[in-house]
Amino acid sequence: MTASRQRALIISLIIIGMVIVGFFGLRTLHAFREFRGHRPPPPFAPDAAQVETDVDLIRDWMTISYISRTYHVPSKILFDALGIPSRGNEEKSLAQLNEKYSPKTPGIIVEVVKATILANQPPLPPVTAIPPQP
Amino acid sequence: MSEFLLTQIINYGAPILGLIVFIGAIGAPLPGTLIVVAVGAFCRQGFLSWPITGLVAFICVVLGDGLSYSMGYYARESILRRFSASTQWTQAEKSFQNWGGMSVFLTRFLITGIAVPVNLLAGTGSFPFKRFMIYDVLGEAIWIFGYGGLGYLFGTQWEVVSDFISNFGGLMLGLVVLVAGFLLARRWLRPNSARTDDTT
Repeated sequence: MTASRQRALIISLIIIGMVIVGFFGLRTLHAFREFRGHRPPPPFAPDAAQVETDVDLIRDWMTISYISRTYHVPSKILFDALGIPSRGNEEKSLAQLNEKYSPKTPGIIVEVVKATILANQPPLPPVTAIPPQP
Repeated sequence: MSEFLLTQIINYGAPILGLIVFIGAIGAPLPGTLIVVAVGAFCRQGFLSWPITGLVAFICVVLGDGLSYSMGYYARESILRRFSASTQWTQAEKSFQNWGGMSVFLTRFLITGIAVPVNLLAGTGSFPFKRFMIYDVLGEAIWIFGYGGLGYLFGTQWEVVSDFISNFGGLMLGLVVLVAGFLLARRWLRPNSARTDDTT
């Protein structure tokens, strides 16, 4: 390798390295702030305490069966609300369902599913205070 | 791509996960870390059995790494024919013998972006297969069970963990490139260094 090519390689490595460090450094910082703001749910909580209630966590890669099980809302209610048959659609993601049944209104399936869950999710058991230790 | 893969994992479970990590280990650019963290969360939710899923993923990724090592090993002849005479190649091979184990270990879970090139280099540079496997198994155990465990711990909030780990991996990769650049620059600027004008 000639001296000029060596120099070009070194300069390229340093510039590319700095760009990657800057880009991912900022993203890591942002992700770390997000990460710090979250607390994991209790690891051995009873089933009722593990029911997800935050509909903002619904993504369009999820299937109706997955959402049904995560949010404890029967899949029949979700399919009925969407007005689509469950047969042949259990393994399809919300994005695929949207593409198939409402291609002109992107995102509508996710919104309907969110609204249906909010309207039909079973109430969570009341939170009981832990009695103070003597 | 990652969304399509997540849907398939929900539907088909461990076999599709095994396939994804295997293909990823032989060089396909798949979002392996994101998948592993997500699978940990799916295990917690009861969609997948964690011992079976973890074991399948672990075996498949180690097999994939072994295969990419072999690809480097069998490509060795043609690479050596071209580069063996160069001093750079000899130096690179020597330094890989010294640092190869740590490189294999760290690229399994921390700097995953260069895991496949490291596998190929290990195979090409005749890094002992047994040593490669020891570091590989240790690193992949952290990747599968450590990152999967974080996904399990955070459950439906796994995206926050995955986001942090993926970006941190990118940052580490950038640091490796930067340090490599500075090390080369230091060697190049050294007064007695032979600024090679040979055409190797």
